[in-house]
Amino acid sequence: MNTPTKREGLEERAKQLFDGSVDDLDAAALSRLNRDRHAAVEALQGSRSAVRWSLWVPASGIAAAAIVMALVMRGPVDVGVDAGPMTASDFDILIDDESFEMLEELEFYSWLDAAGLEPGGNVG
Amino acid sequence: MNNGIAAFAVSCTREPTTGAGTLQRERQLNRFLAEIERRALRIAEIAVRDRDEALDLVQDAMIKLVRSYGDRPHEEWTPLFYRILQNGIRDWHRRQKVRNRVMAWFGRPGARDEDYDAVAQAPDPLARTPEDELQADQAMQRLEAAVRTLPRRQREAFMLRTFEGLDVAGTAVAMGCSEGSVKTHCSRAMHTLREKLGDHW
Repeated sequence: MNTPTKREGLEERAKQLFDGSVDDLDAAALSRLNRDRHAAVEALQGSRSAVRWSLWVPASGIAAAAIVMALVMRGPVDVGVDAGPMTASDFDILIDDESFEMLEELEFYSWLDAAGLEPGGNVG
Repeated sequence: MNNGIAAFAVSCTREPTTGAGTLQRERQLNRFLAEIERRALRIAEIAVRDRDEALDLVQDAMIKLVRSYGDRPHEEWTPLFYRILQNGIRDWHRRQKVRNRVMAWFGRPGARDEDYDAVAQAPDPLARTPEDELQADQAMQRLEAAVRTLPRRQREAFMLRTFEGLDVAGTAVAMGCSEGSVKTHCSRAMHTLREKLGDHW
């Protein structure tokens, strides 16, 4: 039969004493631990919703950044004319129903502008 | 690198959770924390020598484990929990040291950095009446006093291995060191404790 070594004996004794002191914890400490544990587990719900939000926020941010980047990289549409700065009236034209027809004939109007002609009129 | 740490380090997968899975995970976490909390409190209390501070440290460790590692496989929770707790204890000692330095600046005597040991300087939380003192387990008090005199890493290794019962690999994860270091720290701790407590303790 093996007898415990000094080291094993010390470990065993230390463990027994420690377990005894754990069992002797008072009610106040146990109550506090109980409350803290429940609060921590409840925090799991909060962290999950936070994780969900934290996933959506960067995802939508990345998507928006990608759209902006695509527009910047693509640059203005080259229609053969100097478009100049965009004004509010340009937006009105774009919003207007008739503007779709105008957009289809954009090349014609560009040529018209370059040649200094009025539709149905004469040069210069 | 040892197998325990390697296996732990690569386990970055989080277990998928559904509605029912979340409920089950909450139950698992609750059960795990209920099993570990009392021993964790005593370990923290021995380390910082203050019941209230120890309770705060355990509370922080619980919250951090649930928030950051609740989705990890449950077999990883014990070393992770103790790693969080040991980090908390270490930070507590640092804060105590800074606080002591500030107090020394304002003229409190006897607070030099090198010699200062927050554990040794803290008031005894078990300040009991003489009657209680007589009834208290003197052996445990001697053990606690001896454990407190150990260098920090030896104290951590000894408490995790002996009090908590973690294996060498788990202790290595909790301490953030190699298994070889754990064995060395434990061996030195046991040697010192045997000297301090005596063969007949």
